[in-house]
Amino acid sequence: MRILLVEDDRDLGPAIARALREENFAVDLASDGIDAAHLGETERFDAAVLDLGLPGRDGISVLKAWRDAHRDLPVLILTARDGWSDKVAGFKAGADDFLVKPFRVEELVMRLRALMRRAAGHAQALVACGPLSFDSQTGVFELDGLPLKLTAFEWRVLSQLMLHRNAVIERLDLLERVYEGDADVDSNSLEVIVGRLRKKIGATLIETVRGRGYRLVCPA
Amino acid sequence: MIRWVPRSLQARMLLVSAIATLLALVLAGAVMAGLLGRFVTEGLDRRLDAQLLVLASVVDDEGRVDRARLTQRVAAFGSDPGWQWRIAGPDGAIGAADVPTPPAGPPTPPAPPAPPAPPGPHPVEAKAADGGALHARTITLATRRGDVTLTAAAPRAVIARPIEGALAPLLMALAGVAALLTGALLVQLRVALRPLRRLREQVAAIRTGARDRVDDDQPAELAPLASELNALTADNAAALTTARGSAANLAHALKTPVAALAIDLRDQPRLAATVARIDRTIRHHLARARAAAVNRRVATPLAPAAADIAAVIERLHDGPPLTIVREIADDLAVAVDAQDLDELLGNLLDNAAHHAASRIGVTARRDRRSVTLTIADDGPGIPAAARAQVLQKGTRLDERGDGHGFGLPIVAELAALYGGGITLAENAPHGLSVTLTLPAA
Repeated sequence: MRILLVEDDRDLGPAIARALREENFAVDLASDGIDAAHLGETERFDAAVLDLGLPGRDGISVLKAWRDAHRDLPVLILTARDGWSDKVAGFKAGADDFLVKPFRVEELVMRLRALMRRAAGHAQALVACGPLSFDSQTGVFELDGLPLKLTAFEWRVLSQLMLHRNAVIERLDLLERVYEGDADVDSNSLEVIVGRLRKKIGATLIETVRGRGYRLVCPA
Repeated sequence: MIRWVPRSLQARMLLVSAIATLLALVLAGAVMAGLLGRFVTEGLDRRLDAQLLVLASVVDDEGRVDRARLTQRVAAFGSDPGWQWRIAGPDGAIGAADVPTPPAGPPTPPAPPAPPAPPGPHPVEAKAADGGALHARTITLATRRGDVTLTAAAPRAVIARPIEGALAPLLMALAGVAALLTGALLVQLRVALRPLRRLREQVAAIRTGARDRVDDDQPAELAPLASELNALTADNAAALTTARGSAANLAHALKTPVAALAIDLRDQPRLAATVARIDRTIRHHLARARAAAVNRRVATPLAPAAADIAAVIERLHDGPPLTIVREIADDLAVAVDAQDLDELLGNLLDNAAHHAASRIGVTARRDRRSVTLTIADDGPGIPAAARAQVLQKGTRLDERGDGHGFGLPIVAELAALYGGGITLAENAPHGLSVTLTLPAA
């Protein structure tokens, strides 16, 4: 799960990024509107957290640019502007949620998870696949009813496969959603992560689709 | 203190013009009466002088009077009452018994530097025996036996009567002219002051928000005023925008570092509470700054604003499905700034959405100069005894901790700034019905 965080404040941006990484998300931080528009149009994210008052380019215009480029990632506007007119403008520009500063990190994380779950087409918070279950609201995986301990990378890969269970996730797509933009990616690292996951949840659940990617196969 | 100059421009112009007209008419009347008097007097003098000539013709060089010719000639003078004549010479005086001698008459003490008598006839003012004023002409003839003084007189009334007769129709005519001038002035004032009245109506329309500037197409005298008014209105609007912009910038500038602090201090409850207090203080003062910049000179359509806010509420609402039914006529507009209207509607609908079971009804109607908006939910409602309390600042019946429930006092305060208000009532069979009154645009 990779999130584009757009925040120009030098204290707040890194603070939110840290808090989101603690929740296992991959976070790319853009600190001005031009970078933000470019990143959102060219790279794949599961969600974006967008500030409105940005240097270079206003948040609303960034959001419109993404939507014009048919980028349909869920976008949560995080702003100090707390007027209802700002909310109306935000939603009209294509936002999916709106949170006013200051905020509780738990609230931000909860809303981001809900946005990503709904974007993947799940109405319910709990997603199950055979012995495996994923509470998309808390981010907790359980295997046979017992909590599953995962590293951040493992969590990103498995949550992606889980939210799109039974569908093939392209290798490149998965790589992009697991690693942050400035990460030094070893082409074999995905295999390593999947290998460790198979040890934890059983070898059969994750299927390798040769030449394409991976699939979480849920027994009927 | 008594005001001598009326406040009304129309009254001032009427007053000045009335005084000027009156003075002009008095002057015209006096001049015409004077001229008339002169003409009548001249005519009378000619007649009296003719009589003097007749009288002179019966006096010979010796100062003797030819009585027979006198009787014969004097008959031609006619017998108008008060007309008199007299011949005073060395043989005594002949004439109407009551023809007075001139006031300076004999016996005249020898006045050494006696003014030389004028050669021709000259006027003498005298009094008749019965006290009436006389207009007389006299001439002195030098004869061998001494001077003979001839006098012919007529009552002054002969002069006054035609003037009096002419003066009444003259005054009537002048009064008619005065009335005509005043009427013309009134029409002129109405025509001349009409653009002023139109300008006033346009300024009123700016204040109520029906328009944002006055017409530039004005009479030459009003055009500078109109352009000043437009500049003033534009300055005012710009100042409002700046004030709001500064408030928003301040919010952004302060809230972001507060948000950063809140994240860093989230594991330290005491410090986190301090950060929360800072946030509340910022919100409070921002709300005050906004309130100081209330803009009533606008017309904001109600239906689209309600549609936008309802869409946002539906997006933000999580919980059982919610239906927001809006019945608002398309032509309804309120004299409330668009952002403030969003705040009012947003807070009310948000509050309703948090308590509604499944449905919120939004209706609006116009009553003369105000628009009444009713937002009714089918939630549990608020007991009558507690309704006044929820409108008070800082009161929250619903302790959810996420700020919901703060909305109603904000709405009450904002509506009051616009001269409107909010009332709470029961929505049968259950639920809360909030009625918001706002000035119509």
